[in-house]
Parts: sequence; C-alpha cells; structure tokens
Amino acid sequence: MTSPVVDTVNLVKIYQNGAVPVPAVRGVDLRVAAGEFVAIMGPSGSGKSTLVHMLGGLEARTSGEIWLDGQRADTLNESAWALLRRKKVGFVFQFFNLVANMTVADNVELPALLAGASAREARQRRQYLLGELGLTDRADAAPSQLAGGEQQRVALARALANKPSLLLADEPTGNLDSRNTRDVLRLLGEVHRDGQTVILVTHDARVAGLADRVVALFDGEIVDDGTIGMARRRPKATVGDVVELRG
Amino acid sequence: MSTVRASVRWIRADLRARRVQALLTLLAVAGIVTALITSATLLEDGTNPWRGLFAESRGAHVWIHTKDAPDVAALSRLPGVVQVAGPYRTAPVTLTLDGKKSPVALREMSPTPPSVATPLIREGRWLRAGDTEGVIVERSFATALNLKVGGPFTVTALNGASHPLIVVGLADTADQGFYPEWTPGLAWTLPEVLARVEPALGRSESVTGLRLADGEATLPVVHGAVTLLDEEIQRMSTWREVRASMELDNRLLGLLLALFGVTGLVAAALAIANAVGGRVLAQTRDIATLKSLGYTRSQVFGVLMAEHGALGLLGIAIGLVCGQLIASLTLYGTPILPLSPIPLLAITGGTAAVVLVAVALPAWRGGLTPPIPAATAGPPRGHLSRMARVALLVRLPPALVLGTRDAFTRRVPAFLSIFGLAVPMMMITIGLGCWATLDDFLNHPERVGQAAALVVRPDKLPAEDAARIARADPQVLAVYPGSEVSALEPEQTRSVLARALGTSADPYPFSVVEGRMFAARGEAVAGQGLLDLLGVKIGDRVRMTVGGTPLIVHLVGRVVEPDQDGEVLSFGMDSLAAKDAVPPQFYSLVLRPGADPSTVRARLLAASGEALEVNRVVNPAERLAVIRVVIVALIAVLSLLGLANLLTASALGLRDHAFDLAVLKAMGLTPRQVAATLVTGTGLLAVLGVVAGTAAGASLVSGLIDLQGYTSGVGAGIGRTPSTLTLVSAAAIAVGAALLVALIPASRAARAQVPAGIR
Repeated sequence: MTSPVVDTVNLVKIYQNGAVPVPAVRGVDLRVAAGEFVAIMGPSGSGKSTLVHMLGGLEARTSGEIWLDGQRADTLNESAWALLRRKKVGFVFQFFNLVANMTVADNVELPALLAGASAREARQRRQYLLGELGLTDRADAAPSQLAGGEQQRVALARALANKPSLLLADEPTGNLDSRNTRDVLRLLGEVHRDGQTVILVTHDARVAGLADRVVALFDGEIVDDGTIGMARRRPKATVGDVVELRG
Repeated sequence: MSTVRASVRWIRADLRARRVQALLTLLAVAGIVTALITSATLLEDGTNPWRGLFAESRGAHVWIHTKDAPDVAALSRLPGVVQVAGPYRTAPVTLTLDGKKSPVALREMSPTPPSVATPLIREGRWLRAGDTEGVIVERSFATALNLKVGGPFTVTALNGASHPLIVVGLADTADQGFYPEWTPGLAWTLPEVLARVEPALGRSESVTGLRLADGEATLPVVHGAVTLLDEEIQRMSTWREVRASMELDNRLLGLLLALFGVTGLVAAALAIANAVGGRVLAQTRDIATLKSLGYTRSQVFGVLMAEHGALGLLGIAIGLVCGQLIASLTLYGTPILPLSPIPLLAITGGTAAVVLVAVALPAWRGGLTPPIPAATAGPPRGHLSRMARVALLVRLPPALVLGTRDAFTRRVPAFLSIFGLAVPMMMITIGLGCWATLDDFLNHPERVGQAAALVVRPDKLPAEDAARIARADPQVLAVYPGSEVSALEPEQTRSVLARALGTSADPYPFSVVEGRMFAARGEAVAGQGLLDLLGVKIGDRVRMTVGGTPLIVHLVGRVVEPDQDGEVLSFGMDSLAAKDAVPPQFYSLVLRPGADPSTVRARLLAASGEALEVNRVVNPAERLAVIRVVIVALIAVLSLLGLANLLTASALGLRDHAFDLAVLKAMGLTPRQVAATLVTGTGLLAVLGVVAGTAAGASLVSGLIDLQGYTSGVGAGIGRTPSTLTLVSAAAIAVGAALLVALIPASRAARAQVPAGIR
C-alpha cells in the first residue's frame, strides 16, 4: 500500500491567550489516503480550521507529528513549509483571497510561476484550468469584477495550478449562495474524481455529504470518523441525494 | 530564483494599482537627490570657474601693488615663494565705448607668455612683438562690454590723451575676480604701448605676483613682503580674498539647497516608510495569500524591498541625471568641473541607504505577516475615551468626534503622517522666509545698507556742480558725499575697503543693527566680516592705515553690509584726511519713496549734459534672484512629499474604517456625515502636521538666515519671517489641499455599498 498523503500523530495545538492556554486541537490522529475526499465537520470553535491550517503549515503545531506524502513536515521551519506548499498543497479559503491587483489569469499563473514553471507552461496550465472551470472569457478581468462563485472557481483553479498532492479547502462555500455553492461543489467533486486528494472543512452537512468520508471534530478531538458511501459511484450526487441518505 | 517571475507579476500589478503614489515617491526622491547633487556641485566649487582658472593659469597667490618695481630677487628669496610674476607696470585708463566709460587697468605684458599667472587666450591670439595697437582683454570684462576680437579699444589716459587700440585676443585670468564684481577691467598690452599711453611713471603702479609652494600659507609671505618693501606697498591681495568673493553666491545657494536636500531626505524617508508601511498594512491579506501559496518570509521581504526599493533607487538615478543637467543648464557657458566621485558616491550611497532602510523596516514587518489570509490586521480596538463621550454628550458633530478618534487608532502611522507633513511644511515656511527676506532686500534696501539707489560720480564736472545738480532733482531726498579708500588692517596683511559716506553730523542712513551710528570724528561702523577679520567687537579702538594716513578708529556699531563680504569700514567724511575727502569721489543719492531710479538717472544725465556718471546700486537680491527659482522648485518637491504622506494616511484611514462605514450608516449617519468622519480622520493629522511645521519653520527661519548672514560676513539682522498673511495662507492652502485629497476617496467610500460581513 502506498503511504498516505496525510498522516498526523497525536497532533496538538494550544493557543496562548495571555497566560491562559487555550487548546484548539487535542491529539488528532488523521490518516488520509491518496485520492480520498475527506470532509471535516464540527461546530464553530471545534478546531477544524486550525487543523487544516496546521496540515498546510500555515500554523505551527504545538506537539505531535505531521507527515505529508511520507515526508515528516511538522519539524520544518516556516520557509521550508512555504517551499513544500508550493509543490504539494493547494489552499482554497472562505473569502477566496484572490490578489486584488492581479487579473484572474495572473492569479492562477502565480503558483505555477512560483514553483518554477516557465511563463509558457504557466499560461498553458492556466488556460487549461480556466477552460475546465468555464472561466476562459474572464481571464483578463480583475477579481473584483467577478461574482462570488466565479471568484471561488478562480481560487480553486489557483489551488490546482501546481497539481498539488493535497487540496485543502477551508469553508469554500461559506460565503456563497446555494447556486454558487452547488457549482463549486460540483467542481470539487470533479477534481476529486480525477484523483485529487481533498480535505474540506465545513459545518454544512449538505457540503460534507459530497465527501467519501466525514470526520467530525468536537472541542479539538475527533469524535466520529466514517465513510459515508461511495461517492464515486454516485457521480450525479445532488443535494436531494444527501437529504435522502441522511434521512 | 524560481520566484522571480511570480514576483515580477506581483510587483507589476501592484505598481499599476498605485501609479500616483509610485510616481510621487519617484519624483520626491528624484527632486531631493537633484537638490543634493546641485548643492554639492555648488559647494564643492565645481561650478566656480575661477577655481579652475586659478589652477589652469598657475595663478599667483599673493599680489603686491607698489609704486615702483620692487626688488624681485629679494621677493623670490622669501620662504615659501616658488615663482614671481612680473613686476608688471599697470596704468589706470578709461575705456570709452558707445559713450559709456569704464575704468581699465592696462597692464604691460611681454610677447612671450609668462609661466606664472598666465592670461589664458580663449579667443584671438597672444601679443606679438610690434603689436603697436594690440591689446588683450580679460574675457568677463569683454563679455560685459561686448568687446570682440578685432574691435576698437579706445582708451583715455589720465592726461586726457586718447589712444585707439585694437582687441587682438580675449583671455581668462585668475589675477582678479570676474567683472563686474571685480573692477576695474583688466587688459594687457606690450610695454612700449603702455609707455606710449601713459608716459608718466608716477601715474602708474607696479604689480608683482608671488606663487607659493603652499597656497594656504599666505600669511608668512605677506608679512615677509611687508617687512621687505614696507612703505612702497600700496595694496596687497591674496588669492583667498578673490576665491572667497567668487564663492559667495554659489555657496549661499549651495547651503540653501543642502539644507533643503538633507531635511527633504528626512521627510522623504518618513514618507517612504509611511507609504510602504501603509501599503503593507493595506495588503496584509494579499501578502498572507502569497505566503499560503508558498512565499517564504524572506521572499515576501525581498519582493517588498524590490518593489519599493527599486522605486527609490530609480528616483535616485533620475535625480543624479537631473542634478547634472541642472548644473550644466543653469550655469550654461561657464566651465564646470564635474562633481568629484567622493561626494557623488556619498550622496548616491547615502540616499540609497536612507531609502532602503526606510523601505526595509515596514517590509520586514510585511514579511512577518502570518500566512493565514483570514486574519485581517484590524486597527487596535478601544473604548471611546471620556473626552469623546463628553464631546458627543455636548452635541459636537459626531463625524468630528468619530473622525478624531479614528485619526489616532494607529499611533505610529498617525505620528509618521503628522511628522511627515510637518517636516515639508517647515521647509516650505523656511523657503517662504528666504523669499520674504529677498523681498525685504528689494522693498527696503535701506535695511541692508543700500538706502541710496543711485551713485553719482562727478567725472568731468567739478564735484560741487555734481552735488548741486543732484540736489536740484525734485525726487532726490538727500545727497551724501562719499569717498572710498583702501585701509590696511593693523597687521597690514590685508587691505579692506574704507568707505566715508556722509558726515558725522549728517551720517548716511546705514542700517545699524548693533551699537549705534558714528556721531563724531574717529568713530566708525563696520560690517560683520570686518569685525570677524580683525577679531574685534563693538566698542574697540582699532589702529588702521586709511588711505595712507594712520587713524585710530573707534568702532561704535555694526551695520548690515552686503558688499565685500562685510569687510567694510564706514565712517563720516570728516574722519578722512583732507587729501582723500576733498573733493568727494562720489555722491550717494537717497531718492524719495516711490521714485524710479532709472527715471532720476536719466534726468540727472540730461541735466548734466551726460557729463555725470550715474550708476544704479545693484541690490544683492537681484544677484540672488535664482534663489527664488530654487525655492519654487523645492516647494514643489516638498509638496509632493506632503502629498505622498497624505495619500498614505488617507488610504490607511479608509482601509481601517471602510468596514465601519456600514455600521455607521446603520447607526443613522448620512453619507455626508460618513464622509466627514473619514475626512476628519485624515484632515486632523494634516492640520496638526501643517500647524506644527509652520510654527517650527516660522520660529527657525530668521535665525537660520541670520546665521547665514553672520557666516557670510553680511551680518545678522537680515532674516525675515514670512508675513502672517503669507504663513496663514500657506497653511490654509496646505490644509485645504489635504482636505481635498482626503475628500475624494472619502465621499466615494461613503456612497459605496459596503457589505457589513466581510472582514
């Protein structure tokens, strides 16, 4: 068996609020295999975002181990994490976080260029991704000219620009209306079907229903971890299907 | 290096988004470097053509004027003397050209050029044996009189005989300063021609130049020459005097530019730090995004340094080019020694270091941005202060109270903005003070010792007639007889100008700034330069040799003295020996207020049948007119700096409070009130900065100008603070512009629909 894309061992994160330690993640062991689509659910303050931030190296862990693609990552310093992120991790955030001054095309090409691709390679990859996400005609637009759903699709394209081994999505639909949510989720499903490993944070059960596996987090600990049916076999999953399943 | 392409995209996009700010930074830095380069060029004497000439012509360090030819062998044996030029017989003649008379010193010169103090031929040719009419004319004199090679040079000797000579060459010399600062004009001719023009030996003098091994050590040689020649010496001058007089204007300008440049650099550093800091704060989210995409801390630092540092460095490069251009354009026609590499490197390196440090501090902070883009850097929160609550309770406009609070939510940028505005404003006020001082020179010449607008020389008429014609003019208020002789200071090493003007009973209205006016025989007033030269103070008695007559002078006051670096002694005609005082050499004419000097001049000339020589007094402000151009340019650069600071403050205020706008609107503030809140936030900083800067500038300016006056010998007492009206309008314009700059984005923001949710 190939090594898991993500493997954490007793991962702990404690914030210091003045002199008071505030534990956010308390001993999480999470193993995500290549090609898996994992949804992390939990109420506000349960540590979901902190967990994915640690997985992408945006926040330093307090203790425990993080292994990415069989490589120990928790001991890396900030710069080494940054280099690792370029190649292996793509992020999608709730508020899209496109660079406001740059065009859609530049936003998508940026990670590829950062990873050392030539301008031509970056352009080709960008054209492919925007084509796939139906944004070809918006390439030269500024992010502010785009609707929320479109912005999130651009953010998704940007996250995928370097074919990362791991796609981390932190509440990607948290700021979208239902129609855009559906579009973005459909795209996430599609990239997943193409073999992309995805870890998605959400507190929306309908969104989580898209995943292969749902990990429930409560007060920083995993309280439930289960596979919810084979999403791959239900390519046309809809909101209705999820409701049916849950019911 | 894989990040280079990505970084270039980011920088390009960012620059495109803030073109105006980038341009402001560029222009401000360029302007300051230009000022510094120009100032260094001026201060370094690179633009002082006289210095170049002195080196090129192997000028003499000491010139001795004697009645008869001195003992050259003895002079050359003086310790330190390397070579001797001359002695040259020199006769005073008058050049008449188109009815205008100019005094000329006609000096003999051999057909072979001497090796020391060589006149450098610039046009035409050197004298040849048998040139019975040929004369070489000093170039600045020739330029002033529009003399050309081949043109006539008709001179009249003291005996009245006229001699038509021909200009065969124009030459530069460092024997004396340039015409018209240094008179009489200089011309060289063959000894036999001079002998023909002025046959009487008694009416000419002998001029000997000494070139020294060490040019700075003139004093021992001067003492030696005095001991050796004693009574024979009529006058001595050293190259230092000429150098000092040739430097004055450039030096003043250079100092002014240096002052503005250095202070401007501080202001620019503040503006840049503020701008970069503001930009980093405004881009926190974007920087965090970059980091989430894989930028390391040092790469973010590098990108910010590259973008903002490159702007600064480009500005420096433009400034270097402009500095060279300005130096060559404004001083067109004079040979300029380019700025030597050390100050050039110092300015380039210094400004580059200042700019890079100013960029590095906020850029470093930018590098530390956490990579989680969701975390926004909001302003520090706080309660409404008690004062704010009271202000709201007493129904002060809420926009005012909230805006005031907003202005200080970020302490460091608020301070940077205030200080960054105060420094340019202070310099602008100082600039206006210089302007006011120049205006004061022009409007009240009597305050700078130039009460008389015209000087009348009797020329062909008897002195009494000249005085009578002058007094008869209806617009002449007063006529003061005057004579100028040279005075040897106690050690007899340097001669200074002794000026008798008016009488002790009816003294010329000198501008006495310390002590009192002379009121009795033997009393005198002096300029700062003379007091410094002799190391004396008011109240001292000094033994001087005035016009050959020993005189004990009681210094009773200090006057503002714009001539001769302030090295002038002034007293009444009655203090002067009769041989010098009668008849007076000239009459200084004080005109009635409002009288036009040129009209009066024309009338006097007509009344005397062109027999009088009437000259206008050159106001020092006319020589310094170029300072006004400099002031305007510097004010423009400083305004740019202020504007850059304002844009930063405004952008930062807008960014920090944009999301509060929805809340403010929800609380019931009208768009106008919302805009007012934003404008107050920026405007308050502007008002504080402008007021502080204006106050600081106004309190500094007259002291600074007086300091300059003191060191240049003119003396303290010339500095003027700009009028209250000027100050108030300058401050009002600055504040008004600031509010306008703040108003446009504020009103736009107030009308925009801001989603309340996104933070």
